[in-house]
Amino acid sequence: MATIQLSATLPSLPSDWSAEKDFKPISHLSAPTSRAIEPVGPHFLAHARRKRHKRTFSEDER
Amino acid sequence: MSADTGSPEPTSQESSRVAIGLSFGNSNSSIAYTTANEGKAEVIANEEGDRQIPSILSYVAGEEFQGTQAKAQIARNPRNTIAFFRDFLGKGFKDVDPSPCHASAHPVELDGGKSVGFEVQEHASEDEEGSSEPAKSTLSVSEVSTRHLRRLKQSASDYLGKSVNAAVITVPYDFTDEQKAALSKSAKEAGIEVLQFIPEPVSALLGHDAKVQQSGEQPQQHDRIILVADLGGTRSDVSVVASRGGMYTTLSTAHDYELGGSTLDKVLVEYAAKEFLKKNKTAKDPRGNERSLAKLTLEAESVRKALSLGASASFSIESLSDGIDFSLNVNRTRFELLGSKLFQSFTRLIESAVQKADLDILDVDTILLAGGASHTPKIAANVQSHFPSTTTIISPSTSSTAVNPSELTARGAAIQASLIQEFEHQDIEDSTEAVVTVTPHLSHAIGLVTGKEGSEEFAVIVEPDTPVPVRRTAQIPVAAGGDVLLRLAEGVREIKVSKAEKPGTNGTAGSDDDSDEDGSDDEPEEVRSKVLKPGKIIAEAGLKGVKKGGKVEVQVNVAADLGVTVVAREVGGKGGVRGVVEGTGAQQNGSAA
Ligand SMILES: Nc1ncnc2c1ncn2[C@@H]1O[C@H](COP(=O)(O)OP(=O)(O)OP(=O)(O)O)[C@@H](O)[C@H]1O
Ligand SMILES: [Mg+2]
Repeated sequence: MATIQLSATLPSLPSDWSAEKDFKPISHLSAPTSRAIEPVGPHFLAHARRKRHKRTFSEDER
Repeated sequence: MSADTGSPEPTSQESSRVAIGLSFGNSNSSIAYTTANEGKAEVIANEEGDRQIPSILSYVAGEEFQGTQAKAQIARNPRNTIAFFRDFLGKGFKDVDPSPCHASAHPVELDGGKSVGFEVQEHASEDEEGSSEPAKSTLSVSEVSTRHLRRLKQSASDYLGKSVNAAVITVPYDFTDEQKAALSKSAKEAGIEVLQFIPEPVSALLGHDAKVQQSGEQPQQHDRIILVADLGGTRSDVSVVASRGGMYTTLSTAHDYELGGSTLDKVLVEYAAKEFLKKNKTAKDPRGNERSLAKLTLEAESVRKALSLGASASFSIESLSDGIDFSLNVNRTRFELLGSKLFQSFTRLIESAVQKADLDILDVDTILLAGGASHTPKIAANVQSHFPSTTTIISPSTSSTAVNPSELTARGAAIQASLIQEFEHQDIEDSTEAVVTVTPHLSHAIGLVTGKEGSEEFAVIVEPDTPVPVRRTAQIPVAAGGDVLLRLAEGVREIKVSKAEKPGTNGTAGSDDDSDEDGSDDEPEEVRSKVLKPGKIIAEAGLKGVKKGGKVEVQVNVAADLGVTVVAREVGGKGGVRGVVEGTGAQQNGSAA
């Protein structure tokens, strides 16, 4: 995937904001939906390979 | 993301495969291959020069005809001509709709009703005079399919100069396992190893995307909701697909087994028959005679096809009824008026699929019209006026670069065939198992909260319905520089309805949008728009000391357990922030689609 270019204004950091290593986890993602990817096309085959060999994206790129 | 297909070890059997893409419809079939050097999909013309080969077999004086030649026999020799049989494969007699076959060989019960066949006079008379009728043969749908597939295989082999022995075959989304098993068996008997069955709409999408990528119109796979409408001869099938990083997930499907090009032919047949009777007051109704009706129907189809390109076309039939010749000019506007109800049915079917996917028409980025009937300009025009202007309609009449919709499914199948033909059979099976394909998909978009407090907005980084694991990278300019707050959140899509003032001149706006049903002109028009609002906040990160005019890059990595890793840094800067939000494990909502 290409890098996504966003054009919006980020809020500035409030002066009283602080977090360990400047990162604050707040909540989990909502529960996902289970769906089937169509087993078709080059990108699916890459997915299947990663999944069957239990590889991550970066391991896959090596 | 790398998209190469890996390098499985080809065994001797696998490397001797010659594979094609094959689309086998009730009305037409198509065969396609990919060119060796460029990997481009091309549809193969048979010896008669046809790329859409009618799925019809006819027996005349002991000889078998296929395709266009067989189709012509519907008027001359209907009971020995077998047409519209694909959907009968793997079904019991009671479960099939025989109506498309009313003008050709009628389906009969086989194996005590467990399957379907056709009774035809396959062989010529034994004796010279032809006085004694030879026995009729009963051909099962499987046998008919085998014969048809064998001829397609032969056409492809002749063209390619080597013997084709494998194929990716497209089937409707709702083809059952029994139907696939029956088709697989028929193919095997014809000497074709089925590498994989793929759904027709998905194949059409693959064919389209491959063409777009090869022509460089769209260099990268971009995420979008795409609706594929496969409008054929006897049926129409719609799929709503989330395309995410080049992977396709079907969100919903809708089917109409009585809507297609043939339905539109009937409208023209009615019209032509009435005009004929107007001119020939004492002649017999051509609809009352099987042969006359068949001639009228075949001619109606060519008129309708001609009207996809030209503004008018003519019926011209010798000796239609009572020996009277018939000719009639029809213009496109007339046809569109006659068919207006049916044209609306296509739009309604398409819209119903959007609703089934729990989406709004504003969520649909692209509509890909596939199948022969998609050549019809009015179908595309109706869909275009029904959907918002942000939806791109891909069809011959709305986009100059559209691939011929009659070729899309076969091309997609050829591409899939070229991707997997070196794989071992077991490898293909393992990759298409549910353990590989069934995957958690995000229920909400993930992105950043932007804008001022009180009027926050949401900028999407990962679209909803994206399968995990997923990784996306986004950049966002920081004009003022300084310390910025990155608030990663889930997005909530809302449809905003606002009233817009009508343009000054009342009533002359002249929109010929026939989907606009509320005739009340004095009410302000509703303007619907899609807005994304931030929902649940997932994490916050502070990035300090960004240069004036700098750019921030955020990488979001969602693991299979829904754990989120965020890496944020200034583009070209040092350091940055990295943080993790723990996953929730495997609990999931029930499956859709
Ligand atoms: N140029 C055209 N303009 C209008 N209609 C066309 C055109 N070309 C083909 N068609 C129509 O498309 C239909 C066939 O579509 P397609 O080839 O996709 O069939 P199919 O998938 O085999 O059909 P089925 O729905 O019966 O399984 C026919 O009704 C044919 O008349
Ligand atoms: Mg079809």
